[in-house]
Amino acid sequence: MSPRYFLRSLLLLILAAFSANASNWLYLAKLSSVGSISEEETCEKLKGLIQRQVQMCKRNLEVMDSVRRGAQLAIEECQFQFRNRRWNCSTLDSLPVFGKVVTQGTREAAFVYAISSAGVAFAVTRACSSGELDKCGCDRTVHGVSPQGFQWSGCSDNIAYGVAFSQSFVDVRERSKGASSSRALMNLHNNEAGRKAILNNMRVECKCHGVSGSCEVKTCWKAMPPFRKVGNVLKEKFDGATEVEQRKIGSTKVLVPKNSQFKPHTDEDLVYLDSSPDFCDHDLKNGVLGTSGRHCNKTSKAIDGCELMCCGRGFHTDEVEVVERCSCKFHWCCFVKCKQCHRLVEMHTCR
Amino acid sequence: MAGAIIENMSTKKLCIVGGILLVFQVIAFLVGGLIAPSPTTAVSYLANKCVDVEKNHQKTKWYLSWGSNPCEKIRDFDEAVSRQIEANDIVFSIHAPHPHNEMSPWFQFMLYVLHVDIAFKMDNQIKNNAEITFNVSLGYRDDMVSEWQPMAYAEETRKLKCAFNYPKTKENEDSFYDCDVLSFMEIGTVAHKFYLVNIRLPVHEKKGINVGIGDIRDIRLVGIHQNGGFTKVWFAMKTVLTPSIFTIMVWYWRRITMMTRPPVLLEKVIFALGISMTFINIPVEWFSIGFEWTWMLLFGDIRQGIFYAMLLSFWIIFCGEHMMDQNERNRFSSYWKQVGPIAVGAFCLFVFDMCERGVQLKNPFYSIWTTDVGTELAMAFIIVAGICLCLYFLFLCFMVFQVFRNISGKQSSLPAMSKARRLHYEGLIFRFKFLMLITLACAAMTVIFFIVSQVTEGHWKWGGYTVELNSAFFTGIYGMWNLYVFALMFLYAPSHKNYGEDQSIGDLGISSGEELQLTTTITHVDGPTEVYKLARKEAQE
Repeated sequence: MSPRYFLRSLLLLILAAFSANASNWLYLAKLSSVGSISEEETCEKLKGLIQRQVQMCKRNLEVMDSVRRGAQLAIEECQFQFRNRRWNCSTLDSLPVFGKVVTQGTREAAFVYAISSAGVAFAVTRACSSGELDKCGCDRTVHGVSPQGFQWSGCSDNIAYGVAFSQSFVDVRERSKGASSSRALMNLHNNEAGRKAILNNMRVECKCHGVSGSCEVKTCWKAMPPFRKVGNVLKEKFDGATEVEQRKIGSTKVLVPKNSQFKPHTDEDLVYLDSSPDFCDHDLKNGVLGTSGRHCNKTSKAIDGCELMCCGRGFHTDEVEVVERCSCKFHWCCFVKCKQCHRLVEMHTCR
Repeated sequence: MAGAIIENMSTKKLCIVGGILLVFQVIAFLVGGLIAPSPTTAVSYLANKCVDVEKNHQKTKWYLSWGSNPCEKIRDFDEAVSRQIEANDIVFSIHAPHPHNEMSPWFQFMLYVLHVDIAFKMDNQIKNNAEITFNVSLGYRDDMVSEWQPMAYAEETRKLKCAFNYPKTKENEDSFYDCDVLSFMEIGTVAHKFYLVNIRLPVHEKKGINVGIGDIRDIRLVGIHQNGGFTKVWFAMKTVLTPSIFTIMVWYWRRITMMTRPPVLLEKVIFALGISMTFINIPVEWFSIGFEWTWMLLFGDIRQGIFYAMLLSFWIIFCGEHMMDQNERNRFSSYWKQVGPIAVGAFCLFVFDMCERGVQLKNPFYSIWTTDVGTELAMAFIIVAGICLCLYFLFLCFMVFQVFRNISGKQSSLPAMSKARRLHYEGLIFRFKFLMLITLACAAMTVIFFIVSQVTEGHWKWGGYTVELNSAFFTGIYGMWNLYVFALMFLYAPSHKNYGEDQSIGDLGISSGEELQLTTTITHVDGPTEVYKLARKEAQE
């Protein structure tokens, strides 16, 4: 660990310690510099985990690096998908990671929960495929494995393990409360929707290998979609999310659309309880940074256009010289040789 | 072929035989569906990115990302950029199988396909007709501690076939191309427990090697092998089937040699079909458990090819021998027009298989499809084989049509014939229609199951049971053709009933009065030839 990393991690740990009241495991992503989570004591020190998650951490130490990687992936993807919106998924260096926005039952919260549970499933599955984890598809505690084992019938897909782990790790908070409150129901639903976004977009690939390579024998497998694709799917679900309320049907509590004329939501749809604030003004108490100082697109009429982005406060325009890479020569990895090109660009910034 | 058992058998006995065969058929399906797991398994591997820190680019050093002596690993290439690691220093390492598992000889073969994840960059796009070149080495070991033993090394080039499904804008940078899977490696034996694949993608700008292949993020391999459980069930089935087919074959041939006349063509062809079936059945695969025989895949292909060619020839000859027209056949050479396409088609597929799997014996990474010339050559062979097959089916359909036309012609004149001749023709017609029926049933079953296994997911959940459709398809269809050959040899063997009397009749034919003919049934030792004589006489009348 380099000294730079060490300092940063120390800083983050101190920051975390001051906001111990909240609990959000996504904070793991912010602890990217703790180094590898390889000892049980580390689990205790991780901020943002609830007691049950700490126990899981101790039992599945090798998986924790993937969980952290999943959290990072989720945040990166969230920021990419929301780069042109008023709420741009900006994170705070304190808990809760996304500010208060996510602690309320808003659309944004729905997206964050979905993308983060998908992120964990994705990262754990990837780690399985690269042989980093011991259990994975051949673990008998995960459903769908024949008792005879690898040599008789092979192992189940790694994605099954990834999803199962995500279920047990991410959902544990809501489950431990006893899934009764409407918020818990919403979170559980959105977590599942996130994982479904991976499962329902698995790409099926096949190979024929019969006599002379004919399709007499064909083997198919499922390949995980790129995480960008998962993000795109969830962003679409975000745009079409359903506002729901809790109702009691029989003895169980369920979420139903608030507007009874709407189609009931499916497993893959995102649901939310509260409408979102407009995210216009800086409101530190609620963790809203506001759009002041954000870049906007003068010609666009959409949410990234200056009109909407700046909430009618207006914007100022600067001419900035940007240095860009141009006429580059690339290798497939690691090597880039470029010229520098200077270009004058108009930048619009919200007041 | 005369006086076959099927003609002399009562309907009741025929039903009993049919019922017994049906029971075995159901057993064959159930064995595959309930006992065996799915035929093959695909395991996906994500390559670990190791760094060749010594920068010596030696072939001899092996890179494994875990274990006692792990390589220096990087998570992604952004890390490599910041550390000034070059493309040539990166080794993709894949260990098969995953930790805590072992490969086993029961897997029979290993087939690997390669998938490259390439991200879209505005200024680093994949060139048209881009090719990716990799140096790949394959090693094995049988325990976790010993040194890796080299098994194969090759420098291979594959065409990148990638499409980008989004608009090519700055917004969509970092989205992945949609690339076709590349064939990577095929080995016909799994004699060792652990395998290690090391792949390098060397860049050589002057030679234009690995230039313009985009921004590679990951390499994934998918390993396909036969499931051990399926192999065991399969072997068991073969081991049971071999003696049964062999026994009936010996019995059949004894019946034929006991006759005074030499065997006719149709009898010889049925016997040859029995031999080719036995040839497939003989479970030589048992040796693959103990020996490292890479040619087993190729050998299996050849055996299947011989059987298919034999089966197709049999159908043609069977139709021809039941034509009931004036032509004298009973010679193999009179079928050259129909059998010719089979021979040409089978030969084409054999050459193609030798070019693909034959060369793979030497270089497991070889594939004929990777070069333009190879692709054209392979396509040429396959197209010729396809044309031959179409030609064959045209001939077959035409012959079947002819037979049915002759049958309907004969049927209208049957009442006018003498009893002896009538019985003779009725026997022929029955024999033909019966085979036609079971052949169509078998072919339809094969096609239906093939389609079902292609479109469905491969297994059905039935309460607590999982029915493996694909395995049921393989064992069931394999069992079915065995039963088909079995039934053929049993039912179309010369009957005992007229066998003694045939000698007394000699070649008297119809001249010896109808009373005698009735008891023996008309069918004579000389079989079809006699029929043709009859037919010719009839024509002369």
